[in-house]
Amino acid sequence: MEPLDDRELDKLLQQWQAPGAPPSLRAKVLPEQSQWWRWLATGTIRVPVPVGIAMLLAAAALLYFRTYLPTVERPTVAQPARSVSLADFQPVKQLEPRIIGKTNETN
Amino acid sequence: MTDAEFRSAFEQNEDVVYRFAWRMCGSAAVAEDIAQEVFLTLLRQPGRFDSARGTLRSFLLAVARNLALKRWRDDSRLDELEDQFAMPAIDLEGRENAEAVSAAVASLPPLQREVLILAQYEELSLEEIARAVDAEVGTVKSRLHRARENLRRMLAPLKSRNMGRSISHGTFGRS
Repeated sequence: MEPLDDRELDKLLQQWQAPGAPPSLRAKVLPEQSQWWRWLATGTIRVPVPVGIAMLLAAAALLYFRTYLPTVERPTVAQPARSVSLADFQPVKQLEPRIIGKTNETN
Repeated sequence: MTDAEFRSAFEQNEDVVYRFAWRMCGSAAVAEDIAQEVFLTLLRQPGRFDSARGTLRSFLLAVARNLALKRWRDDSRLDELEDQFAMPAIDLEGRENAEAVSAAVASLPPLQREVLILAQYEELSLEEIARAVDAEVGTVKSRLHRARENLRRMLAPLKSRNMGRSISHGTFGRS
């Protein structure tokens, strides 16, 4: 019986198809894929090391400046003057002019 | 390994791992169990994967391969893993080509079967196959050559059968 050559063998072998992974496999391996709220409690966020170091240094600097540097007193701002109501001003009701002469007479 | 990375690894490799396990074991249920265990291994022990030693795909297939062989060892004698024993004859009578190929590949020794599946159906390079099966490239080449020679011999009756079919459907087959 004449054996199969490479091309014939490959062609035959390719006729044997395999199924893809069933949906049940995903359900078993990734059971919490749709539960996004779980991620809030258990998820992780990956931060690059340089970014993480920069954030730590920024937090440390902020804490240092707030704790140890003296507070700068702000100049007090002058209180605005009380507003004056023109209603307090009353015209002189009676005017009594007095003329004082040059002599030393006294009244 | 973050959740997003694991999910990506799963989505990119689930079909490859499942198909390999299915072809190795011949059972959908066993293949699913093996595939599940492969990815749970990655999830629990991500440090086992060393990118310097190979791709993630070859690592996952290596885990699948070990699980499949473990099941086979539990069911059979250990020395039948070796690829030197005589090939049993398979009956191709009444079988369609795909079924015949399935039976032929299933009758190969496991060490030949795995390299054939990875080379023929998953199109891995010899180096990737060597990493997945933990063998030298030369050993992989040798096993692949023997696997193909065995299949050539076992599937030779299909050639005359297929030729007969093509003739009956060709010029001489017109009614």
